[in-house]
Amino acid sequence: MSLHVITANRLHDGVSVWFAETGWAEHVGAATAFEDAALDAALRAAKPADVEAHVVDVRAVEVTREAGGLMPVAHREQIRASGPSVRADLPAGPWRNDTPLPPLPSASSTSPFAGIYRYDEYDRQFLRDRAAQFADQVARRQSGELSEDEFKPLRLMNGLYLQLHAYMLRVAIPYGVLSATQLRQLAYVARHYDRGYGHFTTRQNIQFNWLRLEDTPEVLAALAEADLHGIQTSGNCIRNVTTDEYAGAAADELVDPRLYAEIMRQWSTDHPEFTYLPRKFKIAIIGAPQDRAAARLHDIGIEAHKNAAGEPVFRVFAGGGLGRTPYVAIKLRDEVPVAELLRYNEAILRVYNALGRRDNIYKARIKILIREMKPEAFIQMVEDEYASLPPDYCLLTPEIVQAVAARFVAPDFPRQDTGVLAKALAEDPALRAWAKQNTHPHRAPGYISVAISLKPVGGIPGDASADEMDAVAALADKYSKGEIRVSHVQNLVLPHVAKDDLPALFAGLVEAGLASANVGLVTDIIACPGMDYCALATARSIPVSQRIAERLAPRQEEIGTLYVNISGCINACGHHHVGHIGLLGVDKNGEEVYQITLGGAADEKASIGSIIGPAVPTADVPDAVEAIVNAYIAARQEGERFIDTYRRLGNKPFKEAVYAAH
Amino acid sequence: MPLINAKAELIEDAGLPALRLAGDAKPQDVPLSAPLVEIEFPKFRDGRGFTLARALREHYGFKGDIRAVGHFIPDQFVALVACGFTSFIPPEEHSPAQFAAALSATPETKQPGQLLRRMVSRALEG
Repeated sequence: MSLHVITANRLHDGVSVWFAETGWAEHVGAATAFEDAALDAALRAAKPADVEAHVVDVRAVEVTREAGGLMPVAHREQIRASGPSVRADLPAGPWRNDTPLPPLPSASSTSPFAGIYRYDEYDRQFLRDRAAQFADQVARRQSGELSEDEFKPLRLMNGLYLQLHAYMLRVAIPYGVLSATQLRQLAYVARHYDRGYGHFTTRQNIQFNWLRLEDTPEVLAALAEADLHGIQTSGNCIRNVTTDEYAGAAADELVDPRLYAEIMRQWSTDHPEFTYLPRKFKIAIIGAPQDRAAARLHDIGIEAHKNAAGEPVFRVFAGGGLGRTPYVAIKLRDEVPVAELLRYNEAILRVYNALGRRDNIYKARIKILIREMKPEAFIQMVEDEYASLPPDYCLLTPEIVQAVAARFVAPDFPRQDTGVLAKALAEDPALRAWAKQNTHPHRAPGYISVAISLKPVGGIPGDASADEMDAVAALADKYSKGEIRVSHVQNLVLPHVAKDDLPALFAGLVEAGLASANVGLVTDIIACPGMDYCALATARSIPVSQRIAERLAPRQEEIGTLYVNISGCINACGHHHVGHIGLLGVDKNGEEVYQITLGGAADEKASIGSIIGPAVPTADVPDAVEAIVNAYIAARQEGERFIDTYRRLGNKPFKEAVYAAH
Repeated sequence: MPLINAKAELIEDAGLPALRLAGDAKPQDVPLSAPLVEIEFPKFRDGRGFTLARALREHYGFKGDIRAVGHFIPDQFVALVACGFTSFIPPEEHSPAQFAAALSATPETKQPGQLLRRMVSRALEG
């Protein structure tokens, strides 16, 4: 004998609601509980309300009757009923009212030197039109002209999800490059339409967690004024093209990948043929020997390099990916010329769109097609398709490349290193510790790139408040040509900082509370939003990341480079497969437990980690990670990172350390 | 059943013999002399029809009428036309008027083709 209530999400704002005699209530406590025998009739009574009461996803969930009232049995439903477990700081009550908003930051702020692709009025009008088109789609959904089934792919193509508590909007940050003005615009959206913060993701995007459907056209219109959008950040289409967060700045770079990332963005936006693919499709491009964008773990991964004649050419990989069947991509070609880049992509996509599986969502990615066909047969099909394209079709001519290149501001780097930094480093140990972890070599001798950690110990990986975004924008204007990058490890980067300015920038970051000196260390954890927000998650990844960071923070410098990646479900948004230590949260009979994988890597030596043994309970995860760390420290040789020791010894000593106590 | 053209205008069915193609049909098997092929969308999210039509037009040079049948939505109209569809039997739940509205709601900057093509054509215009 079990007890159920009926729940749904409200169409206009996504808030979770509970079926009561008087209509849909916002609190589970007000819901009517049904015994088994009465449930079917009650569901039938509630279902017609789908249209009339404007709710979606009507379903029954099991509850128990406790002293405090009705409580859902499943963790996810408890979180839907009571809000995220990790945000006690959120102010209570409605966060959105209808008071007039101040002018947009883009009306008064400009970042003329930032290395973003410069929109003209035509480009901007395209985004305004897209926002207007979405407003029309929302209106047609609300009038019933579009069913939820039809509306869903349309809203997803504008980055809008329905999550546990509200709508979530994912905004594209093309190849991770932002101007200070754009970051201020994002802060404005966080402050006025959301609950004061946003979440930077592993695909260099930002997500807002608390939007109302009815506000999203206005939000998209506001973003359009700063050349930002949510186009193709979700749905079964070509997603935001990602790249190296140090592109155009790194000392080891061979080819600046941003130009080709922008060309691919324009090629893939509103592509008439490839907008209803079997599944999502992710492209990454890098231009340095060190892979900082996990290119080999994408549907298409591209390595730009130079051929014998010194011209840029592309090494093309396909079929990489994480999720429930992780694969490292296979190589298709070593030297695709610039002119052929889009044609070659078209050939790959055309084979995939025609043959990719549509019968099973879990087998629909290109990586599965390639393995089912055998790589050789797949490559042959792509080559045949490529050979048969009309010769002028989608040709990337020098004129097009030039036209796009001309839209990027080429920064100059006149400043010299006058010794200010060396002196400050000698005097200030805090600056020294921070600069050691949080900087990256720049191609200009007087400059350096700076990583701003969004991983304060005990914080939420990747979250930034509106005030923090504004603070970073101000520092970028002052010290980094008004330019910011978002990294795939959920941190921010100021790419072009004069070495002489580093001490002053550090002081500014300390003042803003953004000076965590932990980039690349064990507390610089990648974590997905998990079950505190996400409708797909099976475990809460954020609190686990917090406990691990708190436990190991005192020893992080001693431990050295160590990537811990946490996913709250098999879809692997937290990239657990490629963490040196990977943690995957799964539901085991209603309990959240974590599988541990070791030995993953996302760089040019990409590898998928292997599971070391049975999953451990959530409460034991910090002990298990600490045991692994201790085993590494006991076994490491001079200069060895964790991953090196693991590759030398295999998983045996670590496995023994984790399971010895049990 | 109403039949519309690429401008969402109601047209008469000429009664041409139709060759019905499912999404997994191979374009190389389609006789180029066929006056009319009907490409079926089992549901609008199944995008194989886009690639099939485009392959027929651009790869094989098919000149006949390519008709969309089954379940597709007004929001896909512009992309369907861009991929080479020339006639449409709108599904029951979406009237020809909705397709006409989708077309007139498509402003100039949203003409068929991806952003890059638009930029290139603007560059050519001067």
